[in-house]
Amino acid sequence: MPSPRPDLHSLVVTGIGVASGLGHGKDAFRAGLFEGRSVFAPLARPGRQRGDGSPPFFGVEMPDPPSILPPRVERTAGLSGRAAVAVLDEAWREAGLDHVMPERIGLIVGGSNLMAREQLLSLREYADRLDFLPPRHGHVFLDTDICGLCASQFPIRGFAHTIGAASASGAAAIVEAVEAVRSGRVDACIALGALQDVSLMDLQGFRALGALGAGPVCRPMDTGHDGFLYGEACAALVVTRSEHSAGTVYGRVLGTGFCTDGSRGPEPNSDAQVRAAQDALAAAGLVAADIDYVNGHATGTPSGDEAELATMRRLGLGHALVNATKSIIGHGLSAAGAVEAAALLIQMREGLLHPTLHLDAPLDEAFRWVRGAAQEHRIRHALKFSFGFGGTNVALVFGAPEGEAI
Amino acid sequence: MDSDRIAEIIIAEIRSTVPELEAQPITRADSMADLGVDSIERSEIILATLEAIGVKVPMVQLHGPRNIGELADLLHAKSKA
Repeated sequence: MPSPRPDLHSLVVTGIGVASGLGHGKDAFRAGLFEGRSVFAPLARPGRQRGDGSPPFFGVEMPDPPSILPPRVERTAGLSGRAAVAVLDEAWREAGLDHVMPERIGLIVGGSNLMAREQLLSLREYADRLDFLPPRHGHVFLDTDICGLCASQFPIRGFAHTIGAASASGAAAIVEAVEAVRSGRVDACIALGALQDVSLMDLQGFRALGALGAGPVCRPMDTGHDGFLYGEACAALVVTRSEHSAGTVYGRVLGTGFCTDGSRGPEPNSDAQVRAAQDALAAAGLVAADIDYVNGHATGTPSGDEAELATMRRLGLGHALVNATKSIIGHGLSAAGAVEAAALLIQMREGLLHPTLHLDAPLDEAFRWVRGAAQEHRIRHALKFSFGFGGTNVALVFGAPEGEAI
Repeated sequence: MDSDRIAEIIIAEIRSTVPELEAQPITRADSMADLGVDSIERSEIILATLEAIGVKVPMVQLHGPRNIGELADLLHAKSKA
């Protein structure tokens, strides 16, 4: 068990930018979450259809990101890049990062293999005329192009790099951002859960694994669950020390747990999930009884949901309210941990929890599921789970902004 | 296809690659560097022009021209070769 880290208590999230199938910006996100608006539909973006007349993949696609890049840059930026710039712009303004020295600002982009759909489209377009492939393809296919794109448009001069942890990438980016600020490496660090622009190949792979649901909706934690549905999403969270916060304080980052379980594939591991949560709680100086709200990883895959329920039982979280953001916006893969942390913090600020959609027959009625409609609740301490293929287990503990240091 | 037509294609590709130059008058006497076109954009413009005129030339053979007119002349000569 790690020793408590009291200096973690001064870290806060002061700016949030978010994009999802609910729209661009926090207002659209907040409204859609609390309304419990279901936005699942057949995936329509080019590069995501099987083309053989078989049933479509269901999921969630976002409206085109707002056009804020210079046209010359925008024409070379893909969907992931344009979404990243849009959420970064929103978070940047809210956190007042113009008041922080560029050398003291870092960026961690959570995600890998982010632009698979555009690579598939390029291959289709240029396979027969490779000699005329535009030279930008020599650098824009790199995930780190999103780092470069963001740092070329915003005064970020501390560091900018990616971190890959499969579907836990966005949460891993938050863990690393916390470490970067806590260590003094920078004064503010942006954790960006990048839009993972999946292709037909990725979707078919998920289907072949048995991880992808058939649709038309996703049912996390319900007896009728049959897998996750993909959802385009992206979010940026600004982590800083409270003394550097110039804007809104959404909440405090109290503790993080980030461990691997030794598995290579998609299989979940409750032991490691428990360990991640215990590490995060210990770092926060809390116990499970202090947690009053859990934002689950909750993908809707049968094995994932069962393992996570076992984890929550073993931790003794039966008293806490629980919901599943993926039931509304789908599974953002690399973005999910950051987008769902944004959902957690927005709920903390509003004193309201969003419903879990399509949760008609919970796998375990003993938990206090938020379903049907939004529910008032003043979050004091919240736990966020995020798990990724390849054995990655992340847990984050957040505290209300007005809370006293423990 | 004569050199002037090739120059028109180059200029159209410049405007497409750098939309900020959409309304700016561009002639054979202008150089891409003076127009603010960067090296990657220059390569992209030339490749698109080569494809439009149906010519394959290694990029290394296209570094001499000092303006759009000279580049058009060179591409015209290559297209005849």
